[in-house]
Amino acid sequence: MFGYYLIIAFIIGIVLMLNRNRVVRILLLGLFLAMQTAITIYAYFHLNETNTIYFKFDALGVIFMCVLTLLSYTTIYHSFVYLQHRADSSRSQSIYFAALIILIIVMTCAYLASYLGVMWVFIELTTLSVAVLIYHERTPLSLEATWKYVFICSIGITITFIGIILLSIAIQETEITNFSFKAIPDQLLHVSASWLKMIFLFMIVGFCTKMGLFPMHTAAIDAHTVAPPPISAFISTTLMNVGFISIFRTYSMFAHTSILPWMNMILFLCGLISIIVSAAYLLKVNHLKRMSAYSSIEHMGIAAIGIASGGIGYFAAIFHMILHSFVKAGVFYQIDQFHRNFRTYMINETGNYFKRNLPGAMVFLLLLIAITAMPPSGLFVTEFWIFKALFKSGHFFILVLALFFLSIAMYSLAKNFLYILFNQTKDLLPAEEKPNPTETYSQYILLALVFYLGINPPVGMINLIKDAVINLP
Amino acid sequence: MTNILLIAFAISLIYMGIANRLSTYINILAVQGIILFGVSFIELIQINTINLIFILFETIVFKTIAIPLFLNYVIKKNNIVREAEPFLPDFLSVVIITCIILGSFILSNIITGVHIQKMFFLVAISALLSGLFIIITRKKVVTHIMGYLVIENGVFILSLSTGNKMTMLVNAGITLDIFVSVLVLGVFVNRIGNTFEEMNVDNLANLKD
Amino acid sequence: MPGLVFILIILTSFFFTGIVIRTKSIFSGRKGPGIFQPMKDIGRLLQKENVYSQTSSFIFKIAPDIYFASVLIAIMLIPFGNQKGIFSFDGDFVFFAYILAVGKFFSIIGALDTGNSLEGMGASREALYSFLAEPAFFILMGSLALLTGYTSFADIFNGIHFGSYISYAIGTLASFVLVLIAMIENSRMPVDDPKTHLELTMIHEVMVLDNSGFDLGLILHATNLKFAMYGAIIANLFLTPGKEWYFSIPIFIGVQILFAVVVGTLESFIARFRMSHNPQFIFTITSISLLIFFAVLLILGKYF
Repeated sequence: MFGYYLIIAFIIGIVLMLNRNRVVRILLLGLFLAMQTAITIYAYFHLNETNTIYFKFDALGVIFMCVLTLLSYTTIYHSFVYLQHRADSSRSQSIYFAALIILIIVMTCAYLASYLGVMWVFIELTTLSVAVLIYHERTPLSLEATWKYVFICSIGITITFIGIILLSIAIQETEITNFSFKAIPDQLLHVSASWLKMIFLFMIVGFCTKMGLFPMHTAAIDAHTVAPPPISAFISTTLMNVGFISIFRTYSMFAHTSILPWMNMILFLCGLISIIVSAAYLLKVNHLKRMSAYSSIEHMGIAAIGIASGGIGYFAAIFHMILHSFVKAGVFYQIDQFHRNFRTYMINETGNYFKRNLPGAMVFLLLLIAITAMPPSGLFVTEFWIFKALFKSGHFFILVLALFFLSIAMYSLAKNFLYILFNQTKDLLPAEEKPNPTETYSQYILLALVFYLGINPPVGMINLIKDAVINLP
Repeated sequence: MTNILLIAFAISLIYMGIANRLSTYINILAVQGIILFGVSFIELIQINTINLIFILFETIVFKTIAIPLFLNYVIKKNNIVREAEPFLPDFLSVVIITCIILGSFILSNIITGVHIQKMFFLVAISALLSGLFIIITRKKVVTHIMGYLVIENGVFILSLSTGNKMTMLVNAGITLDIFVSVLVLGVFVNRIGNTFEEMNVDNLANLKD
Repeated sequence: MPGLVFILIILTSFFFTGIVIRTKSIFSGRKGPGIFQPMKDIGRLLQKENVYSQTSSFIFKIAPDIYFASVLIAIMLIPFGNQKGIFSFDGDFVFFAYILAVGKFFSIIGALDTGNSLEGMGASREALYSFLAEPAFFILMGSLALLTGYTSFADIFNGIHFGSYISYAIGTLASFVLVLIAMIENSRMPVDDPKTHLELTMIHEVMVLDNSGFDLGLILHATNLKFAMYGAIIANLFLTPGKEWYFSIPIFIGVQILFAVVVGTLESFIARFRMSHNPQFIFTITSISLLIFFAVLLILGKYF
């Protein structure tokens, strides 16, 4: 079933690339979305089944696949809006959508891959397909960002490959060498601790490029800055989820070996430094998209701390990633509209958004509440759980530091968003176009989801997440 | 014999630290390709012929001939200055690369419990770190690719050390090689060359806060 | 016969520089002087009287003699295949390095003694380069000692052949390093140009500006002796112990001639480095010998 999906979706991608007709393009995208939805539903009802040899519908993959499918709808819609206003040539639109479809397929595969090598290959492919999208605007700046992104990600993925080779060396002494995520943990039990530590370090450093965690966070920031806003939404959410899944799977692989405390320490370090770095940059950042990118890094840091603190932290980290995806996607969709209103991303050149575009301003205000994890937001619940897990595992020092820098980040985010919304000290040029309220509906839906999921998470989702963390200590 | 070739590879890394012309870098990369050819020929002689031919083809045709020619073409086409222009004095580069080799040696001895040919491990890790070092300290975009290729060579050596059991893995590494290093990076280097007058990282520093 | 190698080295030193100069002439398309021409020049110098500056002290007078003597003593330590040198004891390669250093020290303070600022500059460079080249020699000899398990020249060169191909491979690498060390110690091409006429760019030549007559002859011949000495060490790496003299003497002479040709070729085809590039070049040699050391450690399976 999954194989058919792959083949048909890939063919759709190729046809999209060759097609120049707008109606055919919309039909093809509709067909693809239908297929993506179908495969997601199929996966949900065939949980823990292996499909097409290398893929498995396990709980973790299916959760993020659902998120991806949901966000595909909104991203494709906002891509249409974005491209329409840019008046790009039909050719570049074709390339854009083909790359987008390939990116979605490849990310789905990366979520569901049940073999380490297969996951690695698809993560590599995400880099390539997203590079095309980042370079969409064809400016020197986008060239720079794309170069940096591709280069750093290539190095990251190479470092991960070294980790995989070392892993293969470590386990080739057992009788049957098997690289599926299910079989690796048993084979690792006999490997010495120092060797395991080295493997983990290599793999985590490589995957950090995708997740945007501390040692390799720089690539993602620049990519966010120049990518088309709908693509930024994807990089910041589903692509970071790819990184999260890879780190989570790596962590689960090693979770039953003796290096668990050491591994937690590394993740604490990555997470905490990510929070500190993002808080520091948020204080001085003036570019709205970069600000959102740093905010993403801050949330990745929280998720990493969640994994490292164990217990309820695992559950909360996954939940946090889901909710963060919805919020951050909404932020970037609204940034697109904001950009068309002001013709700039610079925060200090804008202001008084409430007067200029009321629905969009409302979205920003609600997003601010959601992203800074104020109580009705679902992120409040997850962050609360993560800090509870930190408290339970006795890491008070990390807890205090994280809370301190989180409050700095909150302050900066609130300051900037409120400036955009209410500042009336500047004489601004009038908006070139009338804001279109229909473009904000998707963000209201996502926001409603975030608030609803935080207050009343459905049982099915809770069970899925519980199923995903069941093997962890 | 493999040991000698690996030592020669490590010497080429040190030489990269003092080389100050881009053409020297390219020659070093070509020599490394030949060395890798020798190592893989000796190590993988027992695996099946098609795999062997593929790997040998990859090292000789790809690493030794195609990449150096391509890099030369890029340098000529974009009128890149012939000097590498490092940020650090060469002396420090050599000292640091030596320290890297020393560190890799210590690392290879700290890590215990797994049977690995230590020489391969030592050289592979040194190549990885030296490549990263070259990327960090050199100014040009082309030298970044060269550093990346050095890392790739290190990965190649490491995958050879898994011996003839893991041919799948070796081939995967080689595919990565062909795919990323040439297809993507090459395209972008030419784009950067067309967009900016000089291919320095100074031109690539507009994205900041 | 312990003195055999001593005599051989002295004999080699007579024609070594001649071969180097001849090689260079042939590469540059000239016929070149005869092989013994440098010796004739030195002989002429040895017949001349010394001229001393009034500002120099006795140090300046004894420095060339001590320099020459130190090289001679160092040569006495060199073995010949399985035959020991005139002296041989455990750890003699340390003594070897430091007796050369004593000679160098005296030539440096002799140069400083003249009060000539150019000579001071040359002395400082010479000291720096020797300082950088010293670890290379020690690490190299250390790895050979580790490989064989002995610490004297004679035992090391005796034991080096009992390994597999690896000893020969290491021997090749070691001779590569030794050639480079010899080039640096004798202030030859990639580091220093003996034919330069500009004092500012000289290293060794500028140090002996004030020496004349007999002293200058000694200093010049000491360079020849040093070349022959390093050649002898390299030759030792390839001499097969236990073979008869009629076998090893031709090998010895052959290696020396080959070494001289290599030096000449290097000098013909390598341009001199800029002064600022010299330290890193010399440090590279240390790095390479460090690599040899690691290789030996890994091959022997001796870890710390």
